[in-house]
Amino acid sequence: MDERQYSDAPAVDFDSAPEMQPYLEQPDAMYVGCPGKHGYLNLGFALDREGRSILRELDRRAPLIVQQELYFDEELPDMPCVYILSSGGPNVDGDRYVQRFTMAPGTMAFISTGAATKLAEMRRNYSGMTQEFTLGADSYLEYLPEPVIPCRHTRFICDTRIVADPTATLFYSEIYMGGRKYYGDGELFAYDILSVCSHAERPGGEQLFREKFVIDPAHTQLRDTGMMGQYDVFANVIVLTPPDKAAAVYDATEPFIDSKRKLAAGITHLPNGAGLLFKVLGMEPGPVKAVVREFCSRVRLAVKHRPLPQEFPWR
Amino acid sequence: MSTNPVFPLLQFSDATFPVGTFSFSNGLETASYEGLVHDAATLEQYTRSAARQAAFSDGVAALVSYRATQTGDYDGIRRADDALLRFKMNDEARLMLCRMGKKLAELGVHLWGDDTLMGRWLADIRGGATPGCYPVAQGIAFAMAGIGERELYASHQYGVACMVVSAALRCVRVSHYDTQAILYRLAADTDALYEQARTMDLDSMHSFVPEMDILASLHEKGKMRMFMN
Repeated sequence: MDERQYSDAPAVDFDSAPEMQPYLEQPDAMYVGCPGKHGYLNLGFALDREGRSILRELDRRAPLIVQQELYFDEELPDMPCVYILSSGGPNVDGDRYVQRFTMAPGTMAFISTGAATKLAEMRRNYSGMTQEFTLGADSYLEYLPEPVIPCRHTRFICDTRIVADPTATLFYSEIYMGGRKYYGDGELFAYDILSVCSHAERPGGEQLFREKFVIDPAHTQLRDTGMMGQYDVFANVIVLTPPDKAAAVYDATEPFIDSKRKLAAGITHLPNGAGLLFKVLGMEPGPVKAVVREFCSRVRLAVKHRPLPQEFPWR
Repeated sequence: MSTNPVFPLLQFSDATFPVGTFSFSNGLETASYEGLVHDAATLEQYTRSAARQAAFSDGVAALVSYRATQTGDYDGIRRADDALLRFKMNDEARLMLCRMGKKLAELGVHLWGDDTLMGRWLADIRGGATPGCYPVAQGIAFAMAGIGERELYASHQYGVACMVVSAALRCVRVSHYDTQAILYRLAADTDALYEQARTMDLDSMHSFVPEMDILASLHEKGKMRMFMN
């Protein structure tokens, strides 16, 4: 048996991506995608007999862990909330991950991570992840993971495919730190590459949008005005939602550049009437996260008529 | 078709080429208002960001469209057009690409006639079957005029940079000397960008200019309207 196929988790292979070509060596330690380095998560939310959303499907492979859904959201007490944990610590070279989330019609859920995702220093190969979100009619999913922290020579690539019914809502956020800002003498934008692609389609196959950014700090003037400028943290938020909800959120959201707080945010419409795109820049993850949550609250108000609860003080 | 491709290359790259370039600033109007671009140095950074943003997205779509035109692959042109529109993440950028693309298609029909690939593409734009993005139009036009692929890419990069620095003369305190020096220096990057872009396909298009995206959003929701973006 080919050792690369040892795990029964779906394969993750970005070896043909042009930006990963310099990073295809086998790691010195455990080989690419071996058990324990090939995480798999399949979460399926469905309605129970009483019409309450529950986590009906839960399949996982180390190092990804989800235990069970909890109902801790005081504003939406019927909404299952799930934290994704990783028993392996940071992502290392040769890691592969697959995450699948399926929302049956009419369900709702909140998904986050237990802590920031650390992307370790890498010497060979890269860490790769594929994600799939499938949203049935009138379903509602908030995906608000903690920030991603790349280290020196991190190589990370992620492909996210979204299949959404036109009546569904997905709030999908990602927060990328420039690095371990206060580690040693500071480690900002010392990573090798971050490649992040998100694309969405309708269940019938109609393509909606495709966003991809490849950040290659060594070969890009990231500090140029127009790119990261003076900022260290970047958040990208995709909101798929029907046009009337999108219009309400768009009208209620003011873009800004706050030079005192060194914080900025902008909003626009996704192509093909798919929803909204919201971007935030800041210096520290806390304020950026607060702006993202505030925006999520506006989306929740437009769709579920309830705001986001206050963040737990320990988060 | 011209016997000397340098002539149409100069014609299609001219700042006065009538596709409406002067109406757009690529977000510079807001960048200037916010004080982010206020002198030659910051203008050079901003122009480089704009060129880089286009280098691996619009530039790739232009090359794909160029090659499809050369082989008569009309579906390939349509795929490039659709893919680029799906990749454009803000309203005003989509508006800019579609307005300029349609203008170039209309001009192209005057140059080469209705019964050409450009004529078919213009009919599809008018019928709403294809968005009509400018870089795709450039790919068609350059192939039809017999201009080389490398020249197309350089012209495309020049067009983006030229749009920004021309707008700068109207909204940033810089001189013609500054803007010409910026353009001349940016030329040094173009061939290296082309070497990367020429190997890319539509699925590998990418761009990363979050500050420009936020500026575009401020313009989109704001009241400043010297430029359309």
